[in-house]
Amino acid sequence: MKRQNARTLALIVSILTYLVVGAAVFDTLESRHERSQKRRLDARRNELLRRFNLSRANFEELELVVLQLKPHKAGVQWKFAGSFYFAITVITTIGYGHAAPSTDSGKVFCMFYALLGIPLTLVMFQSLGERINTLVRHLLHRVKLRLRPPDRARVSMANMVAVGFVSCLGTLCLGAAAFSRSEGWSFLHAFYYCFITLTTIGFGDYVALQKDQALQNHPRYVAFCFVYILLGLTVVGAFLNLVVLRFLTMNSEDERRDAQRRRHDARHRDARLAGPRGELAQLVPSPANANAAGLARAPPPRRRRRRGYTEVLHFQTICSCLWYRGDRRPRSLGPGPASPGDDLSFSDPYLKADRRPPPRIRPDPCSAGYLGYPGYPAYPDPEADTAGCVCGPRHCATVGSVAAGGLHMFSPFRGCQRRSSV
Amino acid sequence: MKRHGARSLLLILSTISYLLVGAAVFDALESERESTRKTVLEQKMKEIRDKYAFTEGDFQQIERVVVQSEPHRAGRQWKFAGSFYFAISVITTIGYGHTVPCTDAGKAFCMIYAVLGIPLTLVMFQSLGERMNTLVRSLLRHAKRLLGLREVEVSMCNMVLVGLLFCSSTLCVGAAAFSHLEGWTFFHAFYYCFITLTTIGLGDLVALQEGDALQRRAPYVTFCFMYILVGLTVIGAVLNLVVLRFLTVSAAETRAEEREQRRAEREKEGAPGNTVAASTTDTAPGRGGGGLRSAPSRGHPFGCHSNPIFYNSISYRVEQIATSSSAFGRGGGGGAGGLYLGKRGRYTRRKSL
Repeated sequence: MKRQNARTLALIVSILTYLVVGAAVFDTLESRHERSQKRRLDARRNELLRRFNLSRANFEELELVVLQLKPHKAGVQWKFAGSFYFAITVITTIGYGHAAPSTDSGKVFCMFYALLGIPLTLVMFQSLGERINTLVRHLLHRVKLRLRPPDRARVSMANMVAVGFVSCLGTLCLGAAAFSRSEGWSFLHAFYYCFITLTTIGFGDYVALQKDQALQNHPRYVAFCFVYILLGLTVVGAFLNLVVLRFLTMNSEDERRDAQRRRHDARHRDARLAGPRGELAQLVPSPANANAAGLARAPPPRRRRRRGYTEVLHFQTICSCLWYRGDRRPRSLGPGPASPGDDLSFSDPYLKADRRPPPRIRPDPCSAGYLGYPGYPAYPDPEADTAGCVCGPRHCATVGSVAAGGLHMFSPFRGCQRRSSV
Repeated sequence: MKRHGARSLLLILSTISYLLVGAAVFDALESERESTRKTVLEQKMKEIRDKYAFTEGDFQQIERVVVQSEPHRAGRQWKFAGSFYFAISVITTIGYGHTVPCTDAGKAFCMIYAVLGIPLTLVMFQSLGERMNTLVRSLLRHAKRLLGLREVEVSMCNMVLVGLLFCSSTLCVGAAAFSHLEGWTFFHAFYYCFITLTTIGLGDLVALQEGDALQRRAPYVTFCFMYILVGLTVIGAVLNLVVLRFLTVSAAETRAEEREQRRAEREKEGAPGNTVAASTTDTAPGRGGGGLRSAPSRGHPFGCHSNPIFYNSISYRVEQIATSSSAFGRGGGGGAGGLYLGKRGRYTRRKSL
């Protein structure tokens, strides 16, 4: 099965399992309390019915009115401050529900508003979060420079994740402290409120700015609330940008790599069909072409000594094939097969002999001289034409897959082994 | 950096203005209705209170009982079906709030559950959405070929159009189903589906709350859960197609800028008399102190290979391919899988693969 499909399937199965497990745990934690609370409330209701001599129908009518009045009791919800609050909960997808549009036109506008606003907000938070990550990385680097020698002052991923996590926690605690004081909640409940808000779940069981007509009477507190929500979401967004975003593109990358490989294989097939004298064939190591350029020759003994070293370099050469602007031509060979270090377009130059003068300075890790093939100059001579890449085109093309995480074992030529892992 | 910062600033300003405009419009649409409703309800309340001659204290008791009973009106919320519904609303961040954990242990577990579940769900929906996009793309290609169209390749426009079509049909199917099963108007059911699938989850309209549906109507419950998950996948696929590239563009640009910086620094330093080193800086932005340190740095007959700067540059390139294929790969369209390093023109970009 393709990697992407396997990955997707695994994710689906894990989500379903996660849901089932979560449901079971919530059931265990909450069912008993729910039952007892329901019993208690029923008892109270019956008592009230008896006391005030209400019929069930009357009580339901009363219930309805009380419930409908609830949001109104919390203050005017749709004046500008309240509408701003609502707009925030819509485009950030928090969606408390403490206020919801009751008019049909309000509902319609809400939908269009969300349609445009949610992607805008997503992009904004990720952009800002990425800026924050860069700033933090820069600051951490400076701090590390002070404490360590410069060559060990790199900021690692673990550093960044730790700092991100600590800032998230700090934001939550700060909010918890502030809201527990302003809203009269316990610290735990205020922390729970901040958490539910900043993860954009937004149940609505705890909602700020609903006491004492705060939306109209306490503008500074209102401003603090809005700023807290937006900044908190930025911090959480930065953390997500650091940790989660790379996983969101995994399938797309794999798909792209596969497509590249397919295209390359197709061209390789076409090129090979270009004829027995096709230069490409000469580059591909095969017994028939053993005399062509010495590429397929067994490596001399001294190379075997440095096999490990070679492994590394060969791995690196595979990748560098892709990048080197190869105007190189081994002078000692004269006109010969086009070096893969040439302009790496399969459409033409691979097959054409290109007599451009060698560049002034161009290190070539692909130098076969390095790898011990006779006829190729030793690497360290930057002025000489170092040989082109010894790896065949089919390997160059798979760089993407090689480098981007999927190392496939295939040995481009005898005696040299690809690293099986990086 | 500057362009990047400018973009962030622009986005912040547009979001804030979007909020201001939205607030003004909501105010205009809802304020009046709100005040009239409030007056009407308070009037009604007064009538009721006078009818039954409640005292203030009495009435507050009643109010408290009523408000606390609210979630119970919809039936048992924490049996397995209800808990599953709740778990869905947590990890998809919909968060209706029709049911909330009352115990402190429940609240704590809810937070831990969300911390792990939300990223997992995000990744899952994007992964599945991408698979769907690939499938749709190949189906479209076949369809175009069958129709004998000249242009067989599926363009972005085609994909976006199909994606939007799928979204609207998902919403309409859900609206039809819920209006039938919950007794809402089509418009309200559509509004419910929209608010749910965008994960806003206001909670003014919530499915499975009438007639003890969670316990009695198992097929309807299953349909509901499936609808939410499948609908979120469709939305996720469209987001994957349209929005995801914008979320990653700034990261890619930052990496490119950092490489430029490092290359400039290296060019400035350059080891004197070491042409190879100079050439490595010329041809490849190196990275100080990093990269694969697998190559030995001892003296070597092929001298330059032991040059740490050289190795850094190679390994840097290796790593760059790993990162650039993630960062830039998607920037390249069609055939030219664009692996692009640093300034254009410095490196020969593979014209085709």
